[in-house]
Amino acid sequence: DGEDDDESLIHNTLPLRSSPLTQSDPDPEPTPDPTSQDPDANQYSEPPSRPSSSSDLPKPSSTSFEYWDEDEFEGLPVEQPPLETPKIPENATPDDPSSDPKTAPKPIAATSPKSYTVEIVCGSFLIVFAINYFTGKRENENIALAWAVKFASKDSIFDKNFSLLGVGDGDDSPLLLKEGQNVFKFHASGRRYCQGLLATMELKSRHDLISRMYNLVVPCSDEISFEVYMNDDAMDHLVFAVAKKKAAKWMQKEIRDLQRFANMVSPPSGRKWVAEELAVISESKEVAGDLITEVVLEQVFGEKAFEKFGKGFISIHFSDQQPGTHKKMLLFKFALPDANSMADMTRLVALVPYYIDLVGRYRLSTQARSKTEITRMKIAQEAHREEQNARQEALQRKKAERKKLLEEAESKLGAEAIKRKEAKERARQMKKSMPRVKMTRAH
Amino acid sequence: MSSHGNSSTANDPRQPSAAKPFVQQSVAPQDLPVDYSGFIAVMFGVAGVMFRYKLCSWVAIIFCAQSLANMRNFETDLKQVSMAMMFAVMGLVTNYLGPRPPKTT
Repeated sequence: DGEDDDESLIHNTLPLRSSPLTQSDPDPEPTPDPTSQDPDANQYSEPPSRPSSSSDLPKPSSTSFEYWDEDEFEGLPVEQPPLETPKIPENATPDDPSSDPKTAPKPIAATSPKSYTVEIVCGSFLIVFAINYFTGKRENENIALAWAVKFASKDSIFDKNFSLLGVGDGDDSPLLLKEGQNVFKFHASGRRYCQGLLATMELKSRHDLISRMYNLVVPCSDEISFEVYMNDDAMDHLVFAVAKKKAAKWMQKEIRDLQRFANMVSPPSGRKWVAEELAVISESKEVAGDLITEVVLEQVFGEKAFEKFGKGFISIHFSDQQPGTHKKMLLFKFALPDANSMADMTRLVALVPYYIDLVGRYRLSTQARSKTEITRMKIAQEAHREEQNARQEALQRKKAERKKLLEEAESKLGAEAIKRKEAKERARQMKKSMPRVKMTRAH
Repeated sequence: MSSHGNSSTANDPRQPSAAKPFVQQSVAPQDLPVDYSGFIAVMFGVAGVMFRYKLCSWVAIIFCAQSLANMRNFETDLKQVSMAMMFAVMGLVTNYLGPRPPKTT
C-alpha cells in the first residue's frame, strides 16, 4: 500500500502538532464538501508551537464538522484542551482504531493507544504473497520444463513418435503453452492412426499463497492428462477404462459413455491380469482381454510392475463415444512426480504411443462388432427420442407463453378497446374473403 | 516398449504429412472457471466502503491480489478485478484520509 503512505504524507491532516511539513502543506484536495472541514482550519491549534496559519477561529457551530478526534486526545499529558472548543460528543468509532498509515510521521503515536495490527498483518501478508507468487511461478515452470526436457525434447519419446512437437506451427515452435500460472499445454501431431495429442499439465497453484494454504487442508496433486485424437478409421467400437478401484467405481457412475456402454469386468481366470488395486471397465470381456496384453501387464499393470512403476498412474479411458466435438479419443491421466524425478514416469508415458498403435490396429471380431452395433443403435435412437420430446416441450412452452401474453394484453385493454379490436378483426376477415383483384403497376 | 527400433523407416510411426498445427479452441466466456476470489474481493470492498471497516478493505485488497495472480485470460477477469480493486482502494482512502463519519450512536 505504497501509494497509500505517500498520499497521506502530503495530506497529513492531523491538527495537533504540525511538523514543518504540514506548514506549507499543499491542500491537494479541493474540498467543496461543506461538511468536510478544511484540514488547515483546525480548531484545536496548539498555541505555543504552531503559528496558526489558518485565519479562521474555531467555529462555534456544532454542525460544522471539526476534524478533531476525541480519542486521539485521550490521556494527553501536555495540552489542556482549551475551553472554547465545542465538545464533540463522539467522532471516532471506538472499535475502529483510526490510525495513520504506519510509515507516516506519527505526531501522536507514542501517546494514543492506536493499534496498527490490521495494517501490519495485511501489509506483511501482501508482501509474503508477492514473494510467494514469484517463487511459486518459477517452481511450476521448472516442473513443466523438466517434463518437457525429459519427454518432448530432441530424440525423446515424443520426438520419436510425432513429427510436429509444440504449440506453434513452425519447427522451432515453443513446446509448452502457458495458461495461467499452473496450467501448461503441450501439443504433438503427425503420427499414424491419430490426428494429434494434447497433454495438459495441471499443477498445484503454488504461486497463490491462499490456495497453497487451502491445499494444506484439501490435498491436491500435480496431474498430466493426455488426450489423443484418433482418426475415424483407426478406432473401432470400443469403450474401455482402467483405474484404481475407487476411481473406477466413480467413473462408471459419472462418465456418460462408461455408464451407458460399459460395466465392470471381473478378472478372467486362467490368465494374468492387472494388479489387485486396479479395476477394468469395458464394453465386453473380450475387448478388455485384448487390450490388456502381456507386454502391458509385464511392463506396467502387472502385480510387481505396478508397485514399481505404476505409482503415478491415475486412469486410462478409451472410447469412441466421447462427448464433445471429437468422438474418438484416448485419455490418459497420470500424476506428475517432482521436477528432478521425471524418469519415474517413463513407462507410463510410453503407454501412450503403445496404445495408439494397439488401438489403431485393433479390429473387433464380427459377432462382438454386431453386439456393439446393436447397443449403439439403441442408444442413438434413445438420444434421438429424447431430443424430439425436448423440442416438442420447448414448442409447447413457447405456445403457452404466447397465449398467456395475449390474455394479458386482452385484460389490460379496456372493454371498448376489445370491441374496437374485434371490429378490426372482423373487417380483416371480410377483406380476406373478398375476391382477389390483381393489380400491376405500369412499367 | 514403445515402437522400438524406429530408426528403420519401415515402422517409423511418424507421418509428417498428417501433422496438424495446434489450434487453440476458444472456450466461450460464460463457461470459464468462475473467479471466486474476484467476487469475494468485491464483496469485502463494498463492505469496507459502506461500514468503514479497515479490515474489510484490507481483505479486499488481498483477494484482489489473489485473483490478479490467478488471472487466466485478460479481458473478462480484468474487469472484475479492476472493479474490486477500485472498491478496496476507495474503502481504504475513505477510511484513512476521509473525514470521520458523524457517528450515529
